[in-house]
Amino acid sequence: MTIPVRIENLQKTYQTKKRQGLFKSSVRQVDALKGVSLEIERGEIFGLLGPNGAGKTTLIKILTTLLLPTNGRAFINGFELTKQDDAIRATVGCMLMGERGLYWKLTGRENLVFFGALYHLPPAARARRADSVIERLNLGEYADRPVETYSSGQKMKLAFAKALINDAPLLILDEPTNTLDLPSARELRAVVRELNQQGKTVIYTTHIMAEAETLCNRVAIIDRGEVIAQGTVPALKESIGQETVIKLEGVIPTQASTAVASLHGITRSAITSVNGHNQLTVVTPNQTAVLPQLIQTLSGHGAILQKITPEEVTLEDVFIAHTGRTLAEDTAQ
Amino acid sequence: MTTIQYTPPTFRHKLSAMLAETRLRLINISRYPGQLVMEFIIPIVFAAMPMLLGQATAGDQAAANFAANTGTANYVAYLLIGANVFTIVSGAFWHIAYWVRFEQETGTLEAVYITPTSSPVLIAGVCLYSAIRSTGTAVIAFLIGCLIFRVNPFQGDIILALLFLFVGLIPLYGIAFIFGAVVLKIKESQSVLNLMQWLVSFLMGIFFPVTVLPPFVRFIAQLFPPTWMVNGVRSALLGVGFFLETWYLDMAVLWAFLLFAPLFGIWVFTRTEGNLRGNQGIGQF
Ligand SMILES: Nc1ncnc2c1ncn2[C@@H]1O[C@H](COP(=O)(O)OP(=O)(O)O)[C@@H](O)[C@H]1O
Ligand SMILES: [Mg+2]
Repeated sequence: MTIPVRIENLQKTYQTKKRQGLFKSSVRQVDALKGVSLEIERGEIFGLLGPNGAGKTTLIKILTTLLLPTNGRAFINGFELTKQDDAIRATVGCMLMGERGLYWKLTGRENLVFFGALYHLPPAARARRADSVIERLNLGEYADRPVETYSSGQKMKLAFAKALINDAPLLILDEPTNTLDLPSARELRAVVRELNQQGKTVIYTTHIMAEAETLCNRVAIIDRGEVIAQGTVPALKESIGQETVIKLEGVIPTQASTAVASLHGITRSAITSVNGHNQLTVVTPNQTAVLPQLIQTLSGHGAILQKITPEEVTLEDVFIAHTGRTLAEDTAQ
Repeated sequence: MTTIQYTPPTFRHKLSAMLAETRLRLINISRYPGQLVMEFIIPIVFAAMPMLLGQATAGDQAAANFAANTGTANYVAYLLIGANVFTIVSGAFWHIAYWVRFEQETGTLEAVYITPTSSPVLIAGVCLYSAIRSTGTAVIAFLIGCLIFRVNPFQGDIILALLFLFVGLIPLYGIAFIFGAVVLKIKESQSVLNLMQWLVSFLMGIFFPVTVLPPFVRFIAQLFPPTWMVNGVRSALLGVGFFLETWYLDMAVLWAFLLFAPLFGIWVFTRTEGNLRGNQGIGQF
């Protein structure tokens, strides 16, 4: 069974010329990837989460054969990078650089049919495939207008449609919702989820924590060219061992709150009265594990719960725990 | 299915992808109709300038003087051919530079590179487009020019002239691709295009026979296939005389260029591409 993506110690160093006056220039090196290793399994949505400048696009460009790595190896759909590039190109669907990469004077449909030809689909199949992608992404209304008349969101959707034209088993999406408004972004994520349910493996890069959390099965957090943590979303959250707070409101008898205090996995708990009902505050390092037994214990001791507010650890907290910075800060090298 | 299959494209697949590239560019240019109209007019205006200068300097003797130096009295057709073949030659450079540079900027160059269609196939598609566009406009502009200046366009050996044109196109595109590689690398097209434009128009002798050039410059000029192309067309239509006395020897020289230049051009282009992939990528602009 082929693993969709296996990356071994990928490194990438950019050499850029830095001007110093009129004739002098010096070479500057940017280590954009410092030895990234990853394995992506069939049928998952794998998130690459990291702030701007972390090296996500560089990694994606290497995986899509646009750039050569300085070092390391990768296998995509079982084909070795740099040795079987044509096979990789044929079996991957990619969306890079957002709305760029489209022919503006051509209609959306003409764009899709053209790219279909470059993926070596026979003429009839190109038209059929374009039709089906247009229908699936609801592009029908503007598919036959020149792209230059599209809104930014419409261009993004067409760029996404382009990634589907070769019906590849692996989709590589580089910040596909970057310039979309919230509803369009949600819609696009829904399609990604649907495609994933139909069996496509997805690599999804983003610098938005919530996006990775809601969409991805597993996430690699990448910062300054290195994977600093990876795993399922709950596992990542637990990994930092941060204590969080759960607030429970309702009618909570004293015996219920004392029973909670002795539960395993709870650091502290306190009960107060607010507007005639009780509020129990519980501090725990492992919310997901504790919550079910917490509810069970309370109910078992006659509590009637009206509101439960778990204050969650986010992937942002994970990032902060590892780097001391937030995801919103750009990293420049 | 547990392993993912890949079947390499057949020749037909590649041909189809190449034609798709040609078609895309033709559709694209058809959406700039004003541009196309200008292309019919420019070579005529271009040829009219030396015609008027010649009439002003040589007066009634213009045709006779011209015949003494070039081998034909029909200076109107001579200059029209020069201007129109130059249109084709400069078109080759422009279209390829434009393809590389414009697509680098719009991101479509990367978009086509991530498909399994290899760059020589795309290159061939762009060349075919350029050839169709510029030979089409050159032939039409030649006919219109002949009509305006009242000369018979249908004289001499038209088939042979077209043969020189078409055989000459192939090495021309080979050279244009070396130029394309330069644009890819330096990410600049305007200044190099301007330089090429003047150099090429001088070397290929659009308004004069290269035989009047000093020997060394003439030697350089004759290393450049379009020089043979334009002289071949003129000799076939106007009988100005082949460089090597007979048409088939001149044609043989073009064939030698033909076998060598395209391969060399594609080699330089793909090497440049490989180099760029190793550092910042072809799409960096
Ligand atoms: N073509 C390039 N030349 C030089 N440096 C680059 C180039 N592309 C990206 N970089 C640098 O490499 C690092 C990673 O960039 P990138 O992969 O685009 O990050 P991300 O996609 O996560 O925002 C950044 O420091 C960026 O400035
Ligand atoms: Mg990026």
